[in-house]
Order: sequence, then C-alpha cells, then structure tokens
Amino acid sequence: MIVIENISKSYRGIPVVRDLSLTVARGEIFGLVGPNGAGKTTTIRMMTGLARPDSGLIRISGNDIVKEPVQAKSVLGYVPDKPFLYEKLTAREFLIFTASLYGMAKQESAREADHLLMLFGISDAQHDLIEGFSQGMRQRLLFAAALIHHPRALLIDEPFVGLDPFGVRMLKGLIRDLANSGMSVFLATHSLHIAEDLCHKVGFIKKGSLAALRNSAEIHSVEGGLEELFMRISR
Amino acid sequence: MGMLPLFLRQRYLSIRNSFTRRSALRRLPFIAIGIGFWLLLYLGSRGTLLFVRTLGPFGDALAERLLAMIFFSLTGFLALSNIITGLSSFYLSREIPFLLSKPLLTRDIIRLKTLETILNSSWMVLSFVPPVFIAYGEVYGATAVYYCSVPAALVLLILLTAGLGISLAHLLARLFPARRSRDFLFGLGLMLFLAAYFVMKSSIPSGSAGPEDIVSSFMRFSTDSPLLPGTWVLLAVLPTLKQKSPDLFYAAVLVSNSLFLLLLSSLIGTGLYMQNIGRLQPAGRAGGQGFLSRLYLQGRYALLYKDLRIFVRDTGQWSQLFIILALVLVYVYNFRTVPLAAFSGAPFLKEILVLVNLALAGLVLSAVSARFVFTSVSLEGQAFWVVRSAPVDLGRFLWSKFFQGCAPVAVLVCLLVFLTNTALAVTGRLMYLSLAIVLLLCVSVSGLGAGLGALFPRFTYENIASVSMGIGGMTFMILAFSLVLLTLSGVSWVFYAITVNGGQMTAAGKIGVAAVTCAVILANAAAFYIPMRRGARALEAMEL
Repeated sequence: MIVIENISKSYRGIPVVRDLSLTVARGEIFGLVGPNGAGKTTTIRMMTGLARPDSGLIRISGNDIVKEPVQAKSVLGYVPDKPFLYEKLTAREFLIFTASLYGMAKQESAREADHLLMLFGISDAQHDLIEGFSQGMRQRLLFAAALIHHPRALLIDEPFVGLDPFGVRMLKGLIRDLANSGMSVFLATHSLHIAEDLCHKVGFIKKGSLAALRNSAEIHSVEGGLEELFMRISR
Repeated sequence: MGMLPLFLRQRYLSIRNSFTRRSALRRLPFIAIGIGFWLLLYLGSRGTLLFVRTLGPFGDALAERLLAMIFFSLTGFLALSNIITGLSSFYLSREIPFLLSKPLLTRDIIRLKTLETILNSSWMVLSFVPPVFIAYGEVYGATAVYYCSVPAALVLLILLTAGLGISLAHLLARLFPARRSRDFLFGLGLMLFLAAYFVMKSSIPSGSAGPEDIVSSFMRFSTDSPLLPGTWVLLAVLPTLKQKSPDLFYAAVLVSNSLFLLLLSSLIGTGLYMQNIGRLQPAGRAGGQGFLSRLYLQGRYALLYKDLRIFVRDTGQWSQLFIILALVLVYVYNFRTVPLAAFSGAPFLKEILVLVNLALAGLVLSAVSARFVFTSVSLEGQAFWVVRSAPVDLGRFLWSKFFQGCAPVAVLVCLLVFLTNTALAVTGRLMYLSLAIVLLLCVSVSGLGAGLGALFPRFTYENIASVSMGIGGMTFMILAFSLVLLTLSGVSWVFYAITVNGGQMTAAGKIGVAAVTCAVILANAAAFYIPMRRGARALEAMEL
C-alpha cells in the first residue's frame, strides 16, 4: 500500500508539488495524469526517495521513505522515464547486479533473471552490452529490473515509452496480473487511453495540486472518457 | 562554402552561451597555471639556448639540431593527434546521428568535421609552443620576418598533418572499428613516447661526462630527412632566424603538400565516409563469460564487481591509466640513474633523497587518486538512480568506493616507493618508515578523494577523465598534496629531532616530538573522516 499525505515540494522557491495527498491500495492500479510540468515526475521521484519532500509524508508498505529509506526501497520497484543504465554491462549482468543490491541469494537471482529475460523477450540479447539496446529493449530491461525482487509496490514513470505494440499488450497484461496478485501499482503517464484502460483510479494533477480524483466507473460514465475529463479539468 | 557558416555560427553561439561571469571565474586558476607554465617554458628555453650559444659554432649546430627535433616531434604528435581526433570527430561524436538525419551534403559534414579536427588536435600545440620560438627569436636577435614566418609555417604544418591524419582516420575506420582504432593509436602513441624517452636517456651520457659528450650524443639523432615535413618547416624558417629571407622553395613545398593532403582527405572522406558510417556497430556482445561471470557478490562487493567489469570493458577509461604507468616508469627509471656516488659524503643525503622521493610519490598519489578515487562516485553516471532507488545505505556505498580506490592506489604507490628506495639503496628503518608514511597517506588521501567526490559529483560527462579536471578535482588535488607536504614536514622534523639528539632528548623535545606525531596522525584522520562523513550525508540529501 502507498500512502501520500500532504506532500509539497519547491525548487528555488517555485512550488512544483502542493499539498498532495492520495492512497494506492493493495492490488490497485493508480494513474496520475496531467499536462507537462504539472509535477508528475517530481511526485514519483519523491516516492522513490530520489527527491525529498519539503513537507508531508510518504509511506510504502508502512515504511516512511524519508525516515526508513532502506526498508521502504526494499519493497519498491521503480521504472524511470529516462532509461539511463550501465552501458557497459550486459542485460543479464545488470539484472544480477540489481538483484544483489536487494540482497537476493545467488540461485534465486539467477532463476528470476532467466524468468524475466524470457518474459520480456530479451533473453536472446542477454549477453549483449546495454549500450547497443534500443529504447524499447531498455524499457523492457527496466521493467525486469524493477520486478526482480518481487516488490510490493511498483512506481512507473511513462510506462510505454518506446515499446512496440506487442510490448504494450504484454505489459498491460502483466501490470493487471501484478495488481491481481496484490501489488500496488502507481503510474504517471500522458497516455490517456492506456490509463483509462488499465487504472482502477486516476488522479488529475494540475500545477502541483491534485485537481480531481475519479475511479474507473466514473471515467467510463463520461462521454469521451478520460480524454474529455482531462480536457475539462486541465483547462 | 555550403552549410559551413551555419555550423560555425552554432559553434560560436555554444561557446558564447557557455561564457558567463561564473565560468570565467572558475577558469581563472587554469589561466594562471597556463601563464605560469608559459613563463617557465620561456625561461627554461631561453636559459638552455643562452648556454648552448656559449659553445661557439658547435653550440649553433646543436641549437639547430634541437629546432629540427622540435619540428620532427611536432609533426609526429600532430599526425597521431589528428588520426585520433579525426576518428572521434567523424565517427564517434554524439552529434553524428543529428547531422546525418538532416538534409545535408556529405561534403558539408566532411568540411565541418575537418575544421573541428584541425582545431581540436592542434590547439595544444598552438598554446604551448610559442614560448620556445619566442626564446629562439630573442636569443638569436631575429627580426619581424622570423616572428611572422614561424606562425605561418606552423599553420601549414598543422594543415598538412591534418590532411594526412584525417585521410588515415577514414582508411582505418574502413578496416577496423573506429573506437578500437582510436584506443589502439593512443596506446601506440604512448609506447612511441616511452621508447623515444628511453632511447634518448640511454644515449645521453650522465655523471662525469663533459658538455662536448652531451652535444655529440645529441648530434647523433638524425631527424632532418628531406622527406619529412618537419625538415621543410625547419629549412623554410631557419634562414629568418639568422636575419635572412625565408627559403621560398621549402615554403612552396609546404604549401603544395598541405593543400594536396587536405584535398586528398576530402576525396577519401567523400568516397568512404557514408560507407564507414553504415558499417558502424553500436555495440558488440560482452567478452568472455568465464570464471568472473559465475561470481555472485552482494552489497558493497556487488558495486565493486560491477565497477570492475565496466572498467575492463570501457577502454576509454584506460588511457589515463596508461599515461600514469608511463610516468611511473619514467620516474622509477630516473631514480635508478641518480649518480649517488657523485654526492657521497654529504650529510643526510640518503634521508633527503627519501624525502624528495616521498614528496614525488605523494604527487603521484594525488594525481592517481584524483583520476581513480575522486571520480568513483561520478562514475555511476546518470545510472546513479539505480543505486539511489535501491535499498543501499549510501554511507556503505561510499565506503565501498573508498576501498575499491584505496587498495589499488596503495599497492601502486607503496610499490613505487619500495622500488625507488631500493634503487637508492635505502634499507632497514628508513625503508619501513617511508612505507608506513606512504600507506598512511594512501588511506587518508583516498578517504579525502572518495568524500570530496561525493560532495562534488558530476553525473553527466562525455569522458570521466574530465571530472577530475573540474573545480572539485582541482580542489582535491590541492588539498591532497597539501596534506602530503604537511605530513612529510611533520615526519621529517620528528625524524631529524630523534636522529640528531639520539638518546639525549630533553623532556621538552620529547613532548614536541609526541605533539608533532599526534598532529600528523590527527591531520590525516581528519582528512579521511570529515570528507567521508560529509560526502555520505551529501549523497543522502542529494536530489536526482
């Protein structure tokens, strides 16, 4: 479960996130949508511990990300929007390295790496250096690395960047399966049709504040769906 | 001219926008160092030439031979530099995909990259050779003709070597992968430098040899073959040094060859460039998957294992290691040739030599740590989010960076001190003491490097070596070498006090010795502990 209570964040005196509160329950897929510069990436960065909120509280499975960062991060999986990776490692080495950072045992990490490489369709390229990977392959590898330690919460910033239609379909099915197994999934995206298709709940962020919160049924009841709602709220 | 002016304007705007008051202030120390180097080079060259001229006609011949050697070396350096820079500019630059995606003629890209290669490969020569030529002009009382003809000849030499180097770069990229070729050539250049150094050093007599022996050994080096461009420059310029008109025949040879080689590079480029670009592979498979791939290390050892693998694969990181190893070789070799017998009988000679040796080893330690310890946090690059979002204690992360930097640096510097001490016939107490001091310095300087590296990290860079040359790296170098000097001053005072007084030291003397020893240990402990602690806190507070 992810709990965000009244978080705010400013950069050089300019507020980027203001008094934001939301909850992602166990087994729920939550989408955060908003125009460019609304504060989506800053929110997700604060949730991963890459940025520190000026005020407020973020709990991941009961652990405060600021006060108990190691415990909170150990149950968190994160897929960033920019796929910066260790270019001179192979895909398999990167997964094994990530597993070792989470303290996984050797056999388990090897087994999980094999499984995820296969699942994300990159097992043929597992011994290739990451520097030669396309953006789609990097995105697949990022997902594999985020899932290797069986996190309880998954944070995804722009999940479908660079993926081909096969990848998008596979990933949508996977995210649903993960949520069905009890994982809390939080995704920040511009892809409204995917958010509408996947999310149980969608938050609309505007100038750093949560402008509206709608569940799946409320979104589908509006003619024009999420896109129409987005236009109305963001205007 | 095609699109060239457009690109030049883009370059101009980039340079103009990067010049702010802050950036100018940050460059001031480097400008001061550059001016200091110019002055030293000028004074050194002038002093050498004034001495050489006292040797009469023999001295003039020697000065000419020195000038021939300078032009010969410049030609070799510029040619190699142009091949390496050409491979980088034409084939490895990040700008290439952007340029290729635009509706540009290959000819325009080649012109732009040729100009870029010429400037990037020759700026160092243009910056550092003037003091030598000014010294020549002053000592020989040359006229304005000399001061005009030397820059003109140098520009022609630069164009000539650029034409040659770029042509070879295109041919090499046709035959081998561009990155491998560049790294190989860098190594080759270094080997050639070392070979030239050792050949010269072994040919020049030392010890009791007279000036005429040294001069005749210099005269044996033949670098003035009429087929070499360096000789053309020499023969074109030399008359102007003696207040005569420049030799127009050799000036014409220079002009025609420069234009021909530039044209040749353009023709080869037009023919091969797009084919070579098409053959570029973004990456290959990783090397051997043997014993190392079966290792599984956790926590801080996982970071060490990851960094080792990346270092082994990233050949671009080796270049500075090779430079350092070359300098270490020169350093050890020089200590082997110190004429100890000539100074026998001087008081504390061995101790002074050990102290000088330790100061030099401290300089090597500071330089090596700047490159390999200070940069260790920045080495994570933009992938630092992987560690930062994982359940890793950043204090332990920094300790792992300290260990992986300190261990190789300590082995290298202790070995260096052991070898040079052995060459100086130092044994027993003095050997153990110098090894203990250098080990203490390795630990404290590595802690200082890892800590300051965490306080001044730079995760975005083209080449990791540039991080150690930044303001943080320079601050580290200055602090590290200050610590070395402080430690050596304290230790040598204690050593002197104990040795001179023997067992007859007064109570005040004993207190002084104990106080200075404690101060040295405390200074080293503080240099280690404070930056490590602050660095870990800075990493925890850092926002990505």
